Amino acid sequence: MGDVAAKIKVMPNGPEVDLDELQELLEDSLPQGAKIRGFERDDVAFGLVALLPTVIVPDDAGGTEAVEEAFSGVEGVESVSVENVGRL
Amino acid sequence: MSDKPHQNLAIIGHVDHGKSTLVGRLLYETGSVPEHVIEQHREEAEEKGKGGFEFAYVMDNLAEERERGVTIDIAHQEFDTDEYYFTIVDCPGHRDFVKNMITGASQADNAVLVVAADDGVAPQTREHVFLARTLGINELIIGVNKMDLVDYEESKYEEVKSEVQDLLNQVRFNADDAKYIPISAFEGDNIADESENTDWYDGEILLEALNSLPESEPPTDAPLRLPIQDVYTISGIGTVPVGRIETGVLNTGDNVSFQPSDVGGEVKTVEMHHEEVPKAEPGDNVGFNVRGIGKDDIRRGDVCGPADDPPTVAETFQAQVVVMQHPSVITAGYTPVFHAHTAQVACTIESIDQKIDPSSGEVAEENPDFIKSGDAAVVTVRPQKPLSIEPSGEIPELGSFAIRDMGQTIAAGKVLSVTER
Repeated sequence: MGDVAAKIKVMPNGPEVDLDELQELLEDSLPQGAKIRGFERDDVAFGLVALLPTVIVPDDAGGTEAVEEAFSGVEGVESVSVENVGRL
Repeated sequence: MSDKPHQNLAIIGHVDHGKSTLVGRLLYETGSVPEHVIEQHREEAEEKGKGGFEFAYVMDNLAEERERGVTIDIAHQEFDTDEYYFTIVDCPGHRDFVKNMITGASQADNAVLVVAADDGVAPQTREHVFLARTLGINELIIGVNKMDLVDYEESKYEEVKSEVQDLLNQVRFNADDAKYIPISAFEGDNIADESENTDWYDGEILLEALNSLPESEPPTDAPLRLPIQDVYTISGIGTVPVGRIETGVLNTGDNVSFQPSDVGGEVKTVEMHHEEVPKAEPGDNVGFNVRGIGKDDIRRGDVCGPADDPPTVAETFQAQVVVMQHPSVITAGYTPVFHAHTAQVACTIESIDQKIDPSSGEVAEENPDFIKSGDAAVVTVRPQKPLSIEPSGEIPELGSFAIRDMGQTIAAGKVLSVTER
């Protein structure tokens, strides 16, 4: 069924979190089969910056849940939400 | 491109009915295929000593491009017509992505339903049409695709058209407004140019139909609804809730209420992209600060709205659901997790009020004992913790949900009515 690209919004748990370090921790936490195709950053408000990794998962793997769970467990992460998904 | 009004366009339909080919064809016909892909083809064609342009070749290379993620924002493909700038929302096939479609940021305004002329309405056609209805798709354009495989026969087109009409009536889509177009995405019939192969058809071709879609209005007239994603304490500022505005307008100085936490106050400052703004609108991601609200007073899943028109909190609600996958049967008392906006709340299906017959659209059974995969039903739901949710007839952006259990998305639905707490 091909692959799916999901843009995932990761909010750090404060403005002081080191985003470069967080980016690495997110890469390391990825479940098998998923890969990150680049990060974007989005200035939110009051110094908070969201990380927006685009994650590729196989369409038949059953959604983004495993990735969301893995990211949620990373230190420094406040919340994880899927912005949008599309087929590759 | 960006000076034209924007539309999110979903391409839906059964697997192998030609969704990807149609996306490729739309990109190709509107000149949205990256220049170097065309250039590369030209070179290769010359090397092999054959000229001309083969669409199939472009399709292959587009797929490759996207796999490599070189040229395109990989989750999105874009093209523009005379009237609009379109972003294609190409829905993944797996059902577990339905949750993302419901809670995600880019909800589609309109959709093209692709139905293969040689296959007709198939299981996923049915499911996607129901989901389109649930997700608040306004207008549906039906591309009866692969007309080349049925020798462009009008009778075949009419047959598929009437099957789709029946389906739309079943899910109470406004079937009269839907447009039907005989197309071949692969051959290019009736996409950008009128096809000579379908003399019997004199309606709009696909690009014309896309141009004549109504402009989508951002829901600024509706009352403010801002689901809270996170709550921060920022030094020097205080408590800062963060979220994306779904409907209405947030102004500095507004008196707002957070539900179901049931606290409120005056909005002191609103920031977007790190800049202070006097107001924010649907789609804007904001952080803001409210007089007198502490970090522990509000939480993720709360919805912020005007104090004089606060978000609705449900004691119970009635909803229409479609069961997409469940290993056994669903009976009254079942308590899965409902995902609605930023909230995740366990809810008990208190009663199954009606089962809808998928083949006729009529009420098949009042108060059935159970429902199972493939069934559509009207159910009454009782949240186990306070939940703010709205009737989809009033605020559709806050009226749909996905139901998850056992690590799967098992159903999706929309709220018909709410009994307030």
